[in-house]
Amino acid sequence: MASQDRLTDTLIRAITIAPAPQPAAPLLRVDNLSVSYGRQDVVHDVGFELGRGKSLALIGESGSGKSTIARAVLRLLPNGARASGAVQFNEQNLLALPERRFRPLRGRQIGFVPQDPGNALNPVRTIGVQAMEAAALTDEPSVAIRRALILDTFAKVGLDNPQRAYDSYPHQLSGGMLQRVLIGLAVLPRPALLVADEPTSALDVTIQKRILDLLSRLQHDLNISLLLITHDLAIAAERTDTLVVLKNGVVQEAGKTSAVFSSPSSAYARKLHADVPALNPDRYARLRETGLRLHRTEEAPKIEVSAVTKKFTVDGKVLTAVNDISFAVAPGTTHALVGESGSGKTTTIRLLLGLEEPDSGEISVAGEQVSGRSRESLRAVWRHLQLVYQNPFTSLDPTWTVEHLVREPLDRFKIGTSKERAEQVRQAIANVGLDEHLLTRKPGALSGGQRQRVAIARSLVLKPDVIVLDEPTSALDVSVQADIVEVLLSLQARLGLTYVFVSHDLALVRQLAHTVSVMQRGSIVEHGTVADIFGNPQHPYTASLLASIPGGIADPVRMTHPKPRQVFRKEQIA
Amino acid sequence: MTFASNLTLSASTRNSWAEALRMPAIVALSFVVVATIIAWSVAPQLFTTYSPVIGVPADKLLGPSTAHWFGTDHLGRDLYARVVYGTASSVSSALVAVVIGVLAGGFIGLLAGFLGGWVDVVLARLVDVLLSIPKFLLAVIVVTAIGFETINAAIATGVSAVAIFARVTRAEVIKTRQATFVEAAFLSGGSRWYILWRHVLPNASRSVLPLAVLQFGESILVIASLAFLGYGDPPPASDWGLLISIGKDYLKWPWLVYAPAFITILTVLSVNRISRWLRKTD
Amino acid sequence: MSNAYLTYAAKRLGQAVVVILLAYVFTFVVVSILPGDPITSVLRNPQNGFSEEEIAEIIAAQGLDKPVIIQLWNSLTGFLTGDLGMSMRSNRPVSTLISEVLPSTLILASVGLAVALILAIVVAYGTRFLPKRYGQGLLRGFPSLFLSVPNFVIGLVLIHLFGFQLGIFRVINPDSFWATLFAAIALGIPISAQIAEVLIANLDKEAEQEYAAVARSRGLGQARLFAKHLLKPASLPVVTVIALTIGELLGGSLITETVFGRTGIGSLVQRSVSTQDLPVLQAIVSLGAVIFVLVNLVADLLYPLLDPRVKILGGQKRRPTTADEPSIGSTKAVTS
Repeated sequence: MASQDRLTDTLIRAITIAPAPQPAAPLLRVDNLSVSYGRQDVVHDVGFELGRGKSLALIGESGSGKSTIARAVLRLLPNGARASGAVQFNEQNLLALPERRFRPLRGRQIGFVPQDPGNALNPVRTIGVQAMEAAALTDEPSVAIRRALILDTFAKVGLDNPQRAYDSYPHQLSGGMLQRVLIGLAVLPRPALLVADEPTSALDVTIQKRILDLLSRLQHDLNISLLLITHDLAIAAERTDTLVVLKNGVVQEAGKTSAVFSSPSSAYARKLHADVPALNPDRYARLRETGLRLHRTEEAPKIEVSAVTKKFTVDGKVLTAVNDISFAVAPGTTHALVGESGSGKTTTIRLLLGLEEPDSGEISVAGEQVSGRSRESLRAVWRHLQLVYQNPFTSLDPTWTVEHLVREPLDRFKIGTSKERAEQVRQAIANVGLDEHLLTRKPGALSGGQRQRVAIARSLVLKPDVIVLDEPTSALDVSVQADIVEVLLSLQARLGLTYVFVSHDLALVRQLAHTVSVMQRGSIVEHGTVADIFGNPQHPYTASLLASIPGGIADPVRMTHPKPRQVFRKEQIA
Repeated sequence: MTFASNLTLSASTRNSWAEALRMPAIVALSFVVVATIIAWSVAPQLFTTYSPVIGVPADKLLGPSTAHWFGTDHLGRDLYARVVYGTASSVSSALVAVVIGVLAGGFIGLLAGFLGGWVDVVLARLVDVLLSIPKFLLAVIVVTAIGFETINAAIATGVSAVAIFARVTRAEVIKTRQATFVEAAFLSGGSRWYILWRHVLPNASRSVLPLAVLQFGESILVIASLAFLGYGDPPPASDWGLLISIGKDYLKWPWLVYAPAFITILTVLSVNRISRWLRKTD
Repeated sequence: MSNAYLTYAAKRLGQAVVVILLAYVFTFVVVSILPGDPITSVLRNPQNGFSEEEIAEIIAAQGLDKPVIIQLWNSLTGFLTGDLGMSMRSNRPVSTLISEVLPSTLILASVGLAVALILAIVVAYGTRFLPKRYGQGLLRGFPSLFLSVPNFVIGLVLIHLFGFQLGIFRVINPDSFWATLFAAIALGIPISAQIAEVLIANLDKEAEQEYAAVARSRGLGQARLFAKHLLKPASLPVVTVIALTIGELLGGSLITETVFGRTGIGSLVQRSVSTQDLPVLQAIVSLGAVIFVLVNLVADLLYPLLDPRVKILGGQKRRPTTADEPSIGSTKAVTS
């Protein structure tokens, strides 16, 4: 009985807010922080303040140093990194503390939610064993109570079956569930500060929103200060009080979120704001309409997919990857296939390209039947139908030069003389906005954005009618994404290309597509024009996808007054 | 010679040349050692005035000195001269072994990995069989079957390395074949054999090169072991393994073991270090 | 014991049997078909002093007058029923010859393996605890140094230092405790270098994983991080590596026995090679293949039970994580 009482006690302590006396000094103050790896400086003279119970976002693109700052605060910098300046936590300089005095702060005072939940738990130990490590930080002596505390926390973070999660190995849970576990473990010892490093970037969009909601709610209910690291301005604006915008390790702008967001003063913050698709739905509207006006003919559709089904047998189980889908794309327009992972969008484009055979149904591109062809005769289709892959780091042969890569399709299809080919290569390179001096480089010496331009040039050089774009910007930073989208749309306007654009990013689709098909578990649940789908979604799944687009407006949840014994909404598990 | 051309392979553009030349001091030192060894095997007479075969009986079993760097053996022959003259057969036989391993193993691995299907199943079993026989025993029975000579020891060592190269090449080819850029080449109208030749082979061979260098060092050790057991050329040949084998009967004069052993170890260490560096810079 | 596991085990067992049989055929082909006719050249070698009648007798007894394919068939069926044939030199059953010397080699090999494991563990785990300044570099240098040393040199150095200089053991009494121990050390060091190389690489890899950082953020110190998190995932793959070094152990004992003057399988091989006693060689090589294949079979069957990440699907071992492709860095240890 006594232990039962203790359990209740501990639970109450863990749940209710103990309104600690608020000292004047901020919980976390970073002054003149610089971090370097060898001779390379990655963070320069950065400073900011985070008050108790407040939230602050460090925002920037890859190479901005945002994650390095987070790791400096957590003292998890890799070997060889040197940090100078001060990280004041509760008026103690963390950088100057000896390890022996810093370790008691870890977990107890400062919690950490990592970026990729799939790698953040030891793969060969059960989640329960690892959760016990976090529970040990509560100073609760009884193992039974620690265990109860863990299960209770798991329930609070929205895990349907806490006991199952406790007994599982990490690979047995989905990414969304793992991130809930990790958030649970981080908040379990009731830290004063939670550092979340891109906590949702490895997750599907609808799950992203749920995880962010959970974080906001916990932050509020448990009065935790949140240091959020993100590349997404819209998310940052929606979830935090203060914004710090970083570029190349230097603070570009900092201030109250509402101020920085609505009227950014630095050029970089303005550009960042302009490049986020969710915040600028009409950015390319003119370009998009120009293409349509110049090229739209009332001819037959360029692409027709009718009643196509494809099943795979995986380990004896039949999996319907694509279930009776149909759509058509008019010449000169962009059709977007939207869905989360496992929705069948990748299978759809592989069918479209003839890389997979449909079990039933028909596919034609530019009036030619794709399905049922031999590999040899597919070449004739590919002459007019090209693909740009998602990841430009794997889609270009690392041993070839840019010139050779772009010329390869011309060589293979034996188009023109070698002089004409060289000319066409130069033209394609210029079309995608690359400088000629890059022609002799190999992919390893190019940035991600440059590589994707090479991949686009490669698909353009054959002058195809249709280009299939498989999440062409999802591996790139937003500003690079904006440049690539611009290139794609102006090419479409000039050359009358037809695009099939695969994406999980609805905001991006809203910017550039003409028509949309929304896919879920292998079926198209809704299709129509961009205006129809976004203005008046009919299917609940579409509506939930739309709702998960971060709008840059503060979440209403955070505005409501927190109740002292908040019981968390149990959601459907991701 | 091989090492110079290996270097150019990995550094085909001017840019990577500059990077290739920026190497850690220890790697540079390794190249110096290997260059010296190669020079010994090409022109041993430039490095010593003593004869490796004819000794001065009065000078037998002398310790290392300025006159005899590694001392002299029981017949009064200069040990340094014997080591230098023994380099050619020790090193070139290792080269033969690697070439056999790379060509035969690479070919098997390439076919198995690229063709797949029953070809792969058959070849993969064959490789399993080769792997299942302990390597050194395999080398011993092959050299027994074809005769005790250094060149046969080299062939035997090469045969015992075939399975490793086949396995690694197969794995690399399969990995490359599934790479996105290979599918991209299909979509650009490339035929199967064109893609094998122009995309799969260059990419797969990038990781076979460091392995070949590693195997070179390993082959020196295996051939030395065969020579030590007396399965190579008989005396008065002076293969390193044979020198150590003779020296073991004179352990009172330990330099007879330590000097050739030191050269063997130094060579293999340098070769391994270069392999590791190649793997990292890739 | 799930159904899938049993299917997998049965499949692996079948493969192992096939590989053993093919290895036997392969060795047979190597010893009987390759150029030269060692059999008659040995028999007719005047040094061996066989009379023509004796030669005819031996040829008939060994079935050497029959076509090769029949010889193979007889030899293979004999192997399957445990009959390894007769030695050509001593006219005794091969199985007797082998069983006389096998215990000595098994002792040497098992002590050698124990030495290798202990040394590898001390070296690899040591790299996690020794500070950079004090000797960590030394431990990290251990594998690459000892992968470059011929194992007969290690043996000779040990004999020179501990036998001749310090007089701890005497070469004329090779079966004494100390002589056996030092022989095992000579045999074990190169193998421990291979195991240590893989262990160190695995530990470094695991320490860089995100989960290690997250565990540290929960307040774990170095020692607990090592014991509770790094040890298991870094050590599990080594089970497979140890199994692969069994071949090395057998080949190495051949040389070590020669260096230390021990009687064992190694010396039997030496004698049989010099007298071209092919039935004995054939039997020993096949035995080596059987041991190697069986040890690796056990390792393969054990591994899915040890590592929760490995799933058995459709009779094949699969791992959901992709990070574990053995790199070229560990090829030596993984493949030799």
